[in-house]
Amino acid sequence: MNPPVGIVGAGAFGQGLARAASRAGRDVIIYSRAGQTVDAPRVTVTGDYADVAEAELVFFAVPSTYMREVADEMGAHLDGSHLAVHVSRGLVGDELETLTHVIRSTTPVRRVGALAGPLSAEDLAEDRPSGGIVGTRFPEVADAVRGAIGGPKLRIYSTKDVVGVEVASAMVGLLALSAGFGQGLGLGPSTLAIMGTRGLAEAARVGAALAADYRTFNGLAGVGDLMSALTGDGRPELLLGRALGSGMSLEDAAKEAGANIEGAALAARATHFAKCRGFEVPIAAAVRDVLSGECSAKDALGKLMTRRVGVE
Amino acid sequence: MKLFSGKPLRLPRLRPYVPKKDDPAIFWFNQDRDDVVREVAKRVAEAHTSDRHRMELALNEVAFNESERLSKQRDDEAKESLGYWRGILRRVGRMTDADKRRTIENICTRMAGDVAGNFDPRVYAMAENLVPRLITAAMSPAQLPQEIMTPHTALKGLLSIEGPLDKLRHLSRKGALVFVPTHSSNLDSVVLGYALQRAKLPPVVYGAGKNLFTNPIISFFMHNLGAYRVDRRVKSVLYKQILKTYSTVMIERGYHSLFFPGGTRSRSNLVETKIKLGLAGTGVEAFSRNQANGTPRPVFFIPTTINYALCLEAETLIEDHLKEQGKARYIIDDDEFSRVDKWVAFFRKLTALESASIIRFGEPIDPFGNDVDDDGRSLTPRGDVVDPGTYVTRRGEASVDTVRDQAYTRGLGEVLVERFHAETVIMSTQLVAHILFRRLVRATPGADLFVRVRHRGDVSMPRDELVREVSDARDALLKLQEEGRVRVSPVLLTEPAEHIVERALAAFKGYHDRIAALDVGAEITAEDPTLLLYYQNRLVHYAEAIADEPNREAAQEIARMGRDR
Repeated sequence: MNPPVGIVGAGAFGQGLARAASRAGRDVIIYSRAGQTVDAPRVTVTGDYADVAEAELVFFAVPSTYMREVADEMGAHLDGSHLAVHVSRGLVGDELETLTHVIRSTTPVRRVGALAGPLSAEDLAEDRPSGGIVGTRFPEVADAVRGAIGGPKLRIYSTKDVVGVEVASAMVGLLALSAGFGQGLGLGPSTLAIMGTRGLAEAARVGAALAADYRTFNGLAGVGDLMSALTGDGRPELLLGRALGSGMSLEDAAKEAGANIEGAALAARATHFAKCRGFEVPIAAAVRDVLSGECSAKDALGKLMTRRVGVE
Repeated sequence: MKLFSGKPLRLPRLRPYVPKKDDPAIFWFNQDRDDVVREVAKRVAEAHTSDRHRMELALNEVAFNESERLSKQRDDEAKESLGYWRGILRRVGRMTDADKRRTIENICTRMAGDVAGNFDPRVYAMAENLVPRLITAAMSPAQLPQEIMTPHTALKGLLSIEGPLDKLRHLSRKGALVFVPTHSSNLDSVVLGYALQRAKLPPVVYGAGKNLFTNPIISFFMHNLGAYRVDRRVKSVLYKQILKTYSTVMIERGYHSLFFPGGTRSRSNLVETKIKLGLAGTGVEAFSRNQANGTPRPVFFIPTTINYALCLEAETLIEDHLKEQGKARYIIDDDEFSRVDKWVAFFRKLTALESASIIRFGEPIDPFGNDVDDDGRSLTPRGDVVDPGTYVTRRGEASVDTVRDQAYTRGLGEVLVERFHAETVIMSTQLVAHILFRRLVRATPGADLFVRVRHRGDVSMPRDELVREVSDARDALLKLQEEGRVRVSPVLLTEPAEHIVERALAAFKGYHDRIAALDVGAEITAEDPTLLLYYQNRLVHYAEAIADEPNREAAQEIARMGRDR
């Protein structure tokens, strides 16, 4: 008999995971601080972390800024037999620490992974054909994710390049923000294509500095996720970018997008990180400058377009 | 067939030593040896005899590699064994499956027998008294009479040992200790062996290059103190698996071990950031196997740093690093053992410096990177006890899983690197070299390393400025020490900056062929950037944290050099 699937965080993604696992015939125990309800069979909502520890696989579906705190509390109930996978698009601190590292250093769990790629909360909730990628060094973690949410409509690939998946996922959030921004400014498809492509190159540079494999950025966690963001309409990062591009203040724009957006905070930290490591991330820097009010969106775009052009 | 020539010297078995109850497991090793060899050979042979294809592959591979090696070697060993390997190459196609199996088993048994060490408690007792005397004799013959009367006194001042020694002694009776030290000098294994003895920690098993065994005296000690022979020239898969399996079986049976996880001496003197996972993995596998067999036994890794104010081989190593010839070599080498003049100069210099080398044993961790308490129980980051067996258990069943254990080993490697940084002890010579090198970097912004090291004697620093920057950096290091991010030597902790600078400059003088920094009164010149680079590399990881504003960019460049290696 399969053990239940644990989920920490009952936001849109957490609920999507709960529905997907329920559809796969698994019992689900989902932790919700606010006491949300999830209307799906075999799903139990709890306000006690200890209940979630009954699961073997625990998904962390919380924003990166809360990850350490949540992992610490959840970690008190876990041991070496648990598997932990997070779905957050974030890197924390000036050194861009990955969230699997946060989990490893605050809980006893070592068999960790990151789930990323095109798959969205809506895909999961509404059972639309989709797919994702799980970055983990442990085959049993990839198997457990497939067993928990995989199915005829959900393809879960895996890679050992955990850091690559995490950096790609976080940076795509940032790129989606900048693309939304461009859309808000009324830029055409070719401008957005340049931003996206060069943005991924930038993301791969950040990844390489953290010992990721650049090829991961050409896969589902990078290109795949970015295509899904650009061709879709619902990504909160995109909405935030658009609102900003149309001249709203950061505060109002965040309200408009209605989600916790990690890309905004990441822009400044990725720029700082790159400067210390001696390489450039012009798109992240432009996003940072606009968000901090240092220059207008138009000026930022002008700066990007007049940079020296080199060999790709 | 004879794989290796040269019979090890042993003491006659007239009065065999009867181990006492409290003696470490290694004292019983000679009774266990044949069984270990059998087990190692059996495991490796089994892994290669599961089907015909694997057997052919294994035989072809080992016979081809050995024939290639021996035909180039053209020595006694070649005369004896070349025909055997060529014979296999000729016959393998015609062999029956039973023949193939038997041949692989024979090869594995011979290889395992050749690798396996020996331990003679009588030789251990002899070495306990002899080694400090030999070292003393080499460095200050005048002190020898005193050393004979009361051994260890002269060495005490030279070498300090830090760390949770009581805890380690206690844990050595609970499970297998695996010491994993940083590696910067050929002296390391000798110094570490001596440090273990002095700290009353049990002797350890380690792999030593076969070339060390060619000298009959060294060979005698090595062979009878538990070292196992590693022949770097043998490239075959079977042989490499024999080595790893030997290490696994030894740890499984509770023998304490030592290996240098960097694999080779750090050419650049940078603290190891890339860990060779093969041998570390044997500790993880040993743990899993015991767990899966229902005989759980803890394995404790002890990250250890060996810190020298001066390094015997600094010039050669850094040149080698700059030439990018630092090819991976296996564990311990003896290529500089011959330079007696260097040794004498080195020890003379060391006697003048108090605590010239510091061995720091770090807090022990379990194979999954968890801290352990005084009784060896694994702890979570919150400080709760966690059963390490759960890591190799899934749905109630403990297992050995190569891919999983490799993933654990990588995680362990990352923790070891973090621990190496936190347990590195910064010495006065290294700090002064760093400040001078940082000035050179500041004077040559954006230049590449090879341009910089050509700036011999071009950059100077007024003495008072040097003293001030050393003082500031020292204060910053002390703050990092409080946060548990690094350690500083007693000299840095207590002496005024002026003395630190003087001591370092005096240490640089007259030891290396070239002088690292020249004291010309009011000015100190960065005379040999290569040597400065070598010594300052120990600080690369902390460069940004200890830099003040005017030195920020230079520090960032230095930090980058550490990452781009």
